[in-house]
Amino acid sequence: MDVVKLVRKFLLIALSLCVAISTGCERDEKITPKAAKAAGKMEATATVTIGLIPEHNIFRQMERFKPLAKYLAERTGLKIELKILSRYGNIISNFVSMNLDGAFFGSFTYTLAHSKIGLEVMARPESPEGTSTYYGLLFVRKDSGLKEGRDMRGKRFAFVDKATTAGYLLPLDYFKSQGINDYKAYFSETYFTGTHENAIYDVLNKKADVGAAKNTVFYRIAKEDPRILKELAILFRSPDVPENALALRKDLPDTVKQRIKSALLAMSDDPEGARVLGSFGAGRFIETTDQDYAAVFTYAEKIGLDLATHDYIND
Amino acid sequence: MRKRILIAVALFSLLSILGGLYIIHSLSRATAIQGNLITLHQVEILREHLLIQIKKVQGDLTLKGTRHERDIETLTNHVHTMSTVIDSCFGCHHNEATKSKLESLHGRIDEYKLALSRVFTIKANSALLERDKDAAFSIGRSLIDDLNAMLAFTSMKLEERTQAALTEIKRTKSVIALFILTGPLLAVGLALLLFKRFSDPISSLLDATRKLKSGDLDHRVKGLKDEFGEVAASFNEMAGSLKEQMKSMQRAEQLVVIGEMATGLAHEIKNPLAGIKASIEILSGELDLKQEDQEVLTRIIEEIKKIETLLRSLLNYARPPSPQIDLVRIDHILTRSLTSARYSVKGLLPRLDKPHAVTFEKNFDGNLPAILADPAQLEQVFLNLLLNAAEAMPEGGTVTMIASYDIGMDAVSIEVSDTGRGIEDKDIDKIFNPFYTTKPRGTGLGLAICKRLIEQQGGSISAENNPGGGARFTVTIPVNQDPEVQSR
Repeated sequence: MDVVKLVRKFLLIALSLCVAISTGCERDEKITPKAAKAAGKMEATATVTIGLIPEHNIFRQMERFKPLAKYLAERTGLKIELKILSRYGNIISNFVSMNLDGAFFGSFTYTLAHSKIGLEVMARPESPEGTSTYYGLLFVRKDSGLKEGRDMRGKRFAFVDKATTAGYLLPLDYFKSQGINDYKAYFSETYFTGTHENAIYDVLNKKADVGAAKNTVFYRIAKEDPRILKELAILFRSPDVPENALALRKDLPDTVKQRIKSALLAMSDDPEGARVLGSFGAGRFIETTDQDYAAVFTYAEKIGLDLATHDYIND
Repeated sequence: MRKRILIAVALFSLLSILGGLYIIHSLSRATAIQGNLITLHQVEILREHLLIQIKKVQGDLTLKGTRHERDIETLTNHVHTMSTVIDSCFGCHHNEATKSKLESLHGRIDEYKLALSRVFTIKANSALLERDKDAAFSIGRSLIDDLNAMLAFTSMKLEERTQAALTEIKRTKSVIALFILTGPLLAVGLALLLFKRFSDPISSLLDATRKLKSGDLDHRVKGLKDEFGEVAASFNEMAGSLKEQMKSMQRAEQLVVIGEMATGLAHEIKNPLAGIKASIEILSGELDLKQEDQEVLTRIIEEIKKIETLLRSLLNYARPPSPQIDLVRIDHILTRSLTSARYSVKGLLPRLDKPHAVTFEKNFDGNLPAILADPAQLEQVFLNLLLNAAEAMPEGGTVTMIASYDIGMDAVSIEVSDTGRGIEDKDIDKIFNPFYTTKPRGTGLGLAICKRLIEQQGGSISAENNPGGGARFTVTIPVNQDPEVQSR
């Protein structure tokens, strides 16, 4: 245990240093002509394009974020545009080509994208109950008779995306704990549903035998569809990781970033903001820093995933 | 007539109001129908729009996995428009069945969206991908089929309602045209009717006036009703009155002529008669006649005296003496008249069957004022009335004299009534005419003279029957004489 603690501390320090160094480097980049040009463009157009990952089905995800974008636009005076992405991993690959200025990243996506794109995480939602983290769940149908890994041989497995904590890291963690080394060979079929919602429904509707998804989506859908709690059984869970957070390009003007961040953090103090937060399913936005993602690094380390070489593109 | 005019005007107003209300109602209804049709068109357009959006999304789905695959943003935009259109469908006022159908459609569109999202996000083997794509496509196809059916239904409804609306508008136009044509005709008809109702009676009255003017006093207006009937009744009454007055004037003129003739004759007869009488009296005194002859002469003299009395009366009537006005106590005059009457009645004894049964009673107000009048003439009048009353009761009775003062008229009123048989109705208007008498041996000048004497002093005299029997004569004399009377 001590060794594990030491490794965690080391990783945290390493991450902090990395973040500090990268931040410093990117501060230097802000004064480059490219950054200045970008900053000038931002002030002139005053449009901020924010990408959304398909946490829910893509249309529902858009509808969920629209009131938040509208509120932010009203409070900051900026034009906020939303762009939905069909894959978690796309957000990393296409961030620049889609001309995004920021995105609501999943914990693992942010961890993967952070160093590649040059992002600065601003804030993340905290649930009305005071939770600002989520965890992954691995579940089966109660009537499937599946209790542990050995029951799952030859079954169908539904991941969410290779760039998700709940939808990929957690299953890998489970496979490791169950001694499943080559899941592709162990299961008769594995695939990526693209959204947590799809993974849940695929297991519920018997399209897959085992699935993984994040708890927030699982319980949010369960409120609307009672079959989920009634018919699904949870076998495994991941450690807590930060809830999807808004991260912006580092080379955005500080004033723009600050306006957005301040507006998000002050939302709960404003009646209109509180109303929007209510429909969004959050109590408030809290400040988020790179340090909050240490749990993800730790988790990846535990699984034995090499983040530097991890291929986040779904097979 | 007034009532009929009011009814006609009210009826016409009511018809006008009803017509106006119908036109307003028709306009409102036509507007409502138009609004309904516009709404239905909007519904049709909205459904067509929805169909187009679903087809667009189906297109996106079909192109998925091909080299023409559209980006996710295009899909989300198409899906967003599709959702907006189906949401706006609920803004229209549908009946419960359609609402339920729309809700079902909305639910299936949500299902379609879920399936679409799955197709665009899932990463799996091709069989699974195809299966999911087919599932989504199938939902889209089914939505398109349903919408086509709904559109066909809407078009059919629209066609039906358009036809119904056109039929109704045509009918309304006909009714309004009928109103426009019949309204003025009705107004003209009503005006003519009213005009005739006015002009016919007026013509009838004008014709009657002309006939009256030409001397046809027997013409009467007939057949008129309501207010014109009242006017006609007044007109007829006036014509009757004119006829009566004409007759009365003619009679009066005749009487005047007769009176003047009588007076002239009296003057001519009086002196020769006086000579005859004096001669007979001389002969009667100087000749030694037998008793039988003497009686004949005496009878001749008596008859001559009667003629003289008649002639005096006649002259008295024709040229009554001018009244000698003096301030007199009327009660004294009346009392003297009563006294004279009592004595005179005794002289009538031989003519009355039961003379002792006639009694005289008086009832005078204590506050009778002194009046300006000729006392001798008044005494003559009241004595005449009292004796007439006594004579009217051959079987006896009571003569009552009542005197009172009327402050309002400032006149004294004296009533002389008896308990006799009264005056016959046919005679009551004629008894003051000269030479008109109901007595076998009367001259017919007594009451005529009374009337002239009283009228000479500014008073009046009238006769009527008592309700309980007997006649009553009323004399009214003003307290203060008219200066003209005083100067006579």
